[in-house]
Amino acid sequence: MSVLISVHSRTQWLRNMTLFQRITLSVRALLILLLSLPVLAGLVGVVLPAFGYFPALDAHNFTFDVFGRLFAIDGMGKMMLLSFFTGLIATLLSVASAFLLLAVFYHSSYLNKIQTWLSPLLVLPHAAAAIALLFVLSPSGFFSSIVTNVSNILSSIGVSDAISVDGASTLLPPTWAFPYDSYGISIIIALALKELPFVFLMAVSVMSQPQIKRKFDGYFKSATALGYSPVTVFFKAIFPIVYPQVRLPLLAVLAYATANVEIPLLSGPNNPPTLAVAVVQWFNHVDLSMRFQASSAALLQVAVTLVAISVWIVGEKVAKHAQARFYSNGHRHTGQTLSAIVAYAIVAIYTLLILSIIISTLLWSFATFWQFPAFLPEGLTLLHWQTTLAALAEPFNNTVLLAVLVSGFSVIVATLALEAESLNGNSGNIGGNRHKSKPSSYFNGWAGALLSVTLFLPLLVPGVAFLYGLVWFQLAYFNEAVWFHLFISHLVYVLPYVFISLAVAYRKFDPRYIQVAYGMGKTPWQVFVKIKLPLLFAPMLVAFALGLAISFSQYLPTLLSTGGRIATVTTEAVAAASGSSARLTAVYVIVQTLMPLLGFILAWWLPTICFNPMGRYTLLQTRKSKL
Amino acid sequence: MTLKLDKVSLFRYTDTLLSLDEVIKPGEVLSIMGPSGSGKSTLLNTIAGQLTAPFSMTGSIYINDKCINDMPAHKRGVGVLYQDPLLFEHMTVGQNIAFALPSSALNKAQREQRVSEMLAEVGLSDLQHRPVQTLSGGQQARIALLRTLAAAPSVVLLDEPFSKLDATTKTQMRTWVFGQLKVRGLPTLLVTHDNDDVEAAQGHLIEIETC
Repeated sequence: MSVLISVHSRTQWLRNMTLFQRITLSVRALLILLLSLPVLAGLVGVVLPAFGYFPALDAHNFTFDVFGRLFAIDGMGKMMLLSFFTGLIATLLSVASAFLLLAVFYHSSYLNKIQTWLSPLLVLPHAAAAIALLFVLSPSGFFSSIVTNVSNILSSIGVSDAISVDGASTLLPPTWAFPYDSYGISIIIALALKELPFVFLMAVSVMSQPQIKRKFDGYFKSATALGYSPVTVFFKAIFPIVYPQVRLPLLAVLAYATANVEIPLLSGPNNPPTLAVAVVQWFNHVDLSMRFQASSAALLQVAVTLVAISVWIVGEKVAKHAQARFYSNGHRHTGQTLSAIVAYAIVAIYTLLILSIIISTLLWSFATFWQFPAFLPEGLTLLHWQTTLAALAEPFNNTVLLAVLVSGFSVIVATLALEAESLNGNSGNIGGNRHKSKPSSYFNGWAGALLSVTLFLPLLVPGVAFLYGLVWFQLAYFNEAVWFHLFISHLVYVLPYVFISLAVAYRKFDPRYIQVAYGMGKTPWQVFVKIKLPLLFAPMLVAFALGLAISFSQYLPTLLSTGGRIATVTTEAVAAASGSSARLTAVYVIVQTLMPLLGFILAWWLPTICFNPMGRYTLLQTRKSKL
Repeated sequence: MTLKLDKVSLFRYTDTLLSLDEVIKPGEVLSIMGPSGSGKSTLLNTIAGQLTAPFSMTGSIYINDKCINDMPAHKRGVGVLYQDPLLFEHMTVGQNIAFALPSSALNKAQREQRVSEMLAEVGLSDLQHRPVQTLSGGQQARIALLRTLAAAPSVVLLDEPFSKLDATTKTQMRTWVFGQLKVRGLPTLLVTHDNDDVEAAQGHLIEIETC
C-alpha cells in the first residue's frame, strides 16, 4: 500500500508544480548536460586518435600501434612516475598538514587568523603561485640572497669560513637545485603549498556548519571531561566525521595534482618533464602526426590519475582498518607535542613565505637594476608597470568579460538547480554524506546522486585528457565560434565550484522562512525572488567572486580552446614567466593576485549596502549622533 | 472558517505517529501536547503542505469544507507562527507587513495606509520604518503575528510560539495573540510543551502518548 501512496504522491507532486518549479528542474538537467557533455565528448575525441583513428590525418584503422610507439619513447616511465609521485606526495603533504593545523588550532582563536591568512592563497592562480615561489626560492632568489649575505657577514667577522672567490664582492649564487630538479621536489613543494589552503578551508567550512559545529562542541566537552587532550579529541572523534565530507574534493585535488600543467611547466624538470607537460608539448607540436602520440599519452595520464586515486582509496581502507584499535586504545595525549611543533612550524613557514613573496614580488615590479646578492634593488621605477599595463589592456578586457559571463551564468544555473532541490527537502549531497533519503523524491534521490558525480567529473578527469578532444570537436564543427569554445571550457571548471560554494548557504537556508511566505499565499517564484535571493545575496556574491577567480586562473583551457587566438592575463603571465624579465613577470603576478581579490572585496562590501535596511539605519544613527 | 481533520493518520515509514479526527471551529483553539518526536511538528507540516518523506498521511484535511490534501502549500492560506519571529531582515517592519498583504484589491497608497493602520491599532506605529533587527524580542513577536494576520489566512498554526520569550512578555503575548485570533474568528491549532499556553488558549486539549 505504501508503494501505491508514494506513486500517487509523486504524480501529484509533479502535477502541482508551478511553471517556475518545472523550470528549475529543467535547469538542473541542463547543468548535468553542460558538465558531462564537454568532458565525455572530449574523452571520445582523445580516445579515437589514441587507437589510430583520425580521419583528418587520413587514419581510419583502429590499432594498438600508437601505444606501442608511446611506450618505446625514452624516459616514458620516468614521466609517468614523476606525475604519479609528485601528485600523490604533494596531496598527502597538504592533506596531512591541513588536518594537523586543524587539530592544533580548531579550538583556539588562531583559527580565524589562519583562515584570513590562507584565504588569499586560495584565489591566487597556480601559475602566479609558481612564479612567485621562483622569485623567493630560486638560487638567485630572495632567500638565497639572505643566506649568502648572512654567511658573508659571518665569514667577515670570522665566525664561519664561507668560501668566497676573490673577496666578498663576487659572491656566487648557491647551486641548489630549486627549481627544475629532476626528482620533481620543487613541483611537490609548489603544489603542496598551493593545495594546503584549499584543503584547510574546505574542512573549516564543513566544521563551521551550525549543526556540525554544535555536535563537535559536544564531543569536545565530553571527551575533554574524560581526560582527552584537544589534539587527540580531534583525531579520535572529529576527524573521522569531517574526512568523509571532504573526501570528494580531496580526490579532486589529487587528480588535479597528478595532471597539473602550470606548476611543472614553470618549476619542474625538463628532460623528461611530467607526463601532463609532455602531453601539452606533443599536442602543440607543429608535426600534426604527433597528435596520435599525444592522444595516447593523454589516455595514459587518465590511467596515472586513476592509479593515484586507487592508491589513495586503498590507503583509506588500510587507515580505516587501523583506526578501530586507535579509538579504543585509551591513550589521552597521542602526538600532542609533536603535532603542536609541526603545526607551528607550518604556520611559521607560511608566514615567512607569504611575507617574502609579497616583498620580493613588489620590489621586482618596481626594481631598476637588482643584482644578486643585493638585498634591495638599486632604484625604483614605474616603467615596468607602464609597459605591462599598456600591453595588458586587451588581455585584461578579455579576461574580465569572459569571467563575468562565465561566473554570472554559473551563478544563475547553480541557483536554479539548487532551487529544484528545495522542491522537496534536501537531497543530492556533496561530499558523500547522504541524508537519510527524503524521497518524496526517489526522483530527487537519483538525480541528486547523478548531480554529485557530474559536479566532480571535470575536476576528476585530467584537463589534458579531455580538453584536446573537446577542441578537436569544436574545430570540426564550429571553427569560428572561438568565444563559445572559450566559454564552455571555462564553464566546466567554474560551474562546479560555484555550485559547491553556493550549495552550503542554500541548504542552510531556514525552510521556515519559506513556509511563512507560503502561508501568505506567495507563489514559489515570489518566494524565490523576494525572499531567497535578497537573503542569500551575500553568499551568491561570494560564489560569483569565486567563479571569477577560477576563470581568471585558467591557463590550459584558455590556451587550447582558442588556439592562442584570445589572450588573457594568465596566458600572458605564463608566457612572460618563461620568457622575458623578472620585473615584468612580477607585475603580472601582482595583477593576477589583485583581480580576484577585488572580486572578493566587492562581494564583501555590496551586501552591506544592498538589501540591508540595518546598514542604512546604522549609518543614519551614527550621522545623527555626530550632529 | 473551520479546519477539519477527517480521520487523519500520520506515518513515519510504516509506523503510525498519531491519528486525529477533529473539527476546529472559527475562533477556537485546539491545543496539542506531547513529547518530542511524537509527530506534532509533522502534523503542522502536513496541514501547511510541507509533508516530506519519510512521513506520509492518510485521511483528509478540509479548510472551509474544501479538501486541501492535494493543494500546494502557497494556495492553502495557512499562516504559521513559529517560536522564532522569522521576520525578513532585508525589509523594514512596514515592508514585512506590506509583503504579507494580499496583492489584489489594494493600490500602493492603500497598502501603505493599511500597514499604518494595523500598526496603529496595536500601538506600534513608531516601528514602521525600523529595521527588524532593532526591535526587542517582544516587539518582533508582535510584528510576526501582525504579518501573519495581514495575509488574511483561513487557518493559523502556532508552533510553540511563546517558548523563547521572557516570562513577563510571555504572559502579555499569550493574552494578546489569542485575543487577536478570536476577534478574527480564525480556527487555530496550537502545539506546545507549556501548560500555561493551553490554559490561556481556553480550548480543547489533545495529549499524544508515546507509543
